[in-house]
Amino acid sequence: MAIKMETRNQVPIRIVEDKVLRFSKGERISHWVHAISFFVLLFTGLGVLSTFFQPAMTILGGIHVARVIHRISALFFVVVVGLMFFIGNPRYHWRWIKFVFNFTKSDWQHVSAFPKEFFGGHGAYPEQEKYNGGEKINSLITIFGTVFITLSGIVMWWAPFFPVGLVRWAYPVHDLSMFLMTAAAIGHIYLGLLHPDSKAAMSGMLNGYVSKEFARAHHSAWYNRLKEEQKKSIKS
Amino acid sequence: MTRKMVLIDTSKCTGCKACSVACKEWNELPAEKTKLVTSYQTQKDFTTKTWTYMTFIEKYENQKMDFLMRKAQCFHCANPACMKACSSQAITKTVLGYVLIDHDKCIGCGYCVENCPFGVPKLDPIKKKSYKCTGCIDRVENDLKPACVHTCQPGALQFGERDVLLTQAKKRLAEVQKTHPKAQLYGEKEMGGTTFLYLLLDSPDVYGLPVNPTIPLSLTLWKDVIRPVGGLAVGGAAAAVVIGVFANLLKGNYHSNKEKVGNDPSSINKGGKD
Ligand code: HEM
Repeated sequence: MAIKMETRNQVPIRIVEDKVLRFSKGERISHWVHAISFFVLLFTGLGVLSTFFQPAMTILGGIHVARVIHRISALFFVVVVGLMFFIGNPRYHWRWIKFVFNFTKSDWQHVSAFPKEFFGGHGAYPEQEKYNGGEKINSLITIFGTVFITLSGIVMWWAPFFPVGLVRWAYPVHDLSMFLMTAAAIGHIYLGLLHPDSKAAMSGMLNGYVSKEFARAHHSAWYNRLKEEQKKSIKS
Repeated sequence: MTRKMVLIDTSKCTGCKACSVACKEWNELPAEKTKLVTSYQTQKDFTTKTWTYMTFIEKYENQKMDFLMRKAQCFHCANPACMKACSSQAITKTVLGYVLIDHDKCIGCGYCVENCPFGVPKLDPIKKKSYKCTGCIDRVENDLKPACVHTCQPGALQFGERDVLLTQAKKRLAEVQKTHPKAQLYGEKEMGGTTFLYLLLDSPDVYGLPVNPTIPLSLTLWKDVIRPVGGLAVGGAAAAVVIGVFANLLKGNYHSNKEKVGNDPSSINKGGKD
């Protein structure tokens, strides 16, 4: 049975007083399950990657416990989030996929203006829909990173059952995905927690809502569309 | 101390398997249940408790059978893939040319198992350690020959200084080639030159050995490209964040922002409208 989280397969009222609903409860659950398990996986994985980090594994009970925790959190990372696409909150999850795979000219314009924004300046770019170019790239790195790190991780986990040539390639694939996702996560966390303009987005991942001001300032195309949709649905 | 060598002269080997028994004896490795693999071969592969075994290949040519026998064990490469792959700096190479696993450091990740071009190390999933031939380093460092060499009756195994034995091996090869034209040395150049070096009677692939063993390309890419470049990317992202925080501090963005967002809608036109 589907756990329909704030969806019930109907368009909810998105704009409520001075706030705009940005993420459904299901989307927020997926985000945080993925984020927390990512860091557990990163921490325990680094214990295997290098003897520099290995001593830190004593806080978990040693490297062998860390390796077991790596496998357990991998299940959350993949299975829990994966299930959200099918029985948890499918509609909104697939809509996110649809959004971020639709990379447009306006997204490129955002991306080229983005470095300036990142360092506290103001770049010029067209009005953005729900996800701007930078967010789409972050999402795409997460999606592809997750797929590749999972496939390679499965091969590494059950190495004796796979051809040796495949196992040998799984190692660099696992590391490459890890480095890419970690670099993206560092920038992502900065924008969510520390960046003066964009940190207002944080509440969207906590209670689901962002302020109208934020929505208008950063995602006016999205905001205007929601306003139109809401007008229509109230009329009918 | 100079580099040592064990010459395995397969032209002298009688396939008696005493070497594998001596290995078990000295290294206190328990016997395992064996099974007939081919006519004489009773061991298919290395195990955590079998570090050397005999392979027997029956080669038929012109109605004649040639019995190709080879003692298999770790090659102790000068350029060991296992050492490069090891996650825990547990594998080292000694000046004698021995490649050794330190079981205090080994965590049993299996990276050496998967990357050895000869499939030598084996993983004990319970002990979570990788095992292979030690070359009897504990004997050699006490001026004894490796157990297998010590026991070899037909003199197919010889132990000595690498330079001296290699010269000898080449002389012997010229001799053997008179009857076995395809005979060759295996391990002189392979993997940077191996400590356990063979005089084979035929080309390596006939014995099931890789003709051109190398460090896997994936391993080089992993350790020498993705690791340093990935580290730089993560470091670069972290540096960009630190610079970003300071840039915003210097521009006073942390103060002005609070007033802008929330109270005064007219000034919040970032993100395109300006
Ligand atoms: C999603 C499913 C994943 C699976 C099934 C998985 C599985 C594995 C396995 C089996 C290993 C080999 C080490 C060992 O035997 O303990 C490993 C290593 C590692 N994993 Fe994962 N992993 C996954 C996700 C991740 C994620 C998300 C990260 C970090 C962001 C990560 C980081 C690492 C690192 C750094 C290593 C060490 C690699 C090395 O030694 O170079 N893994 N993983």
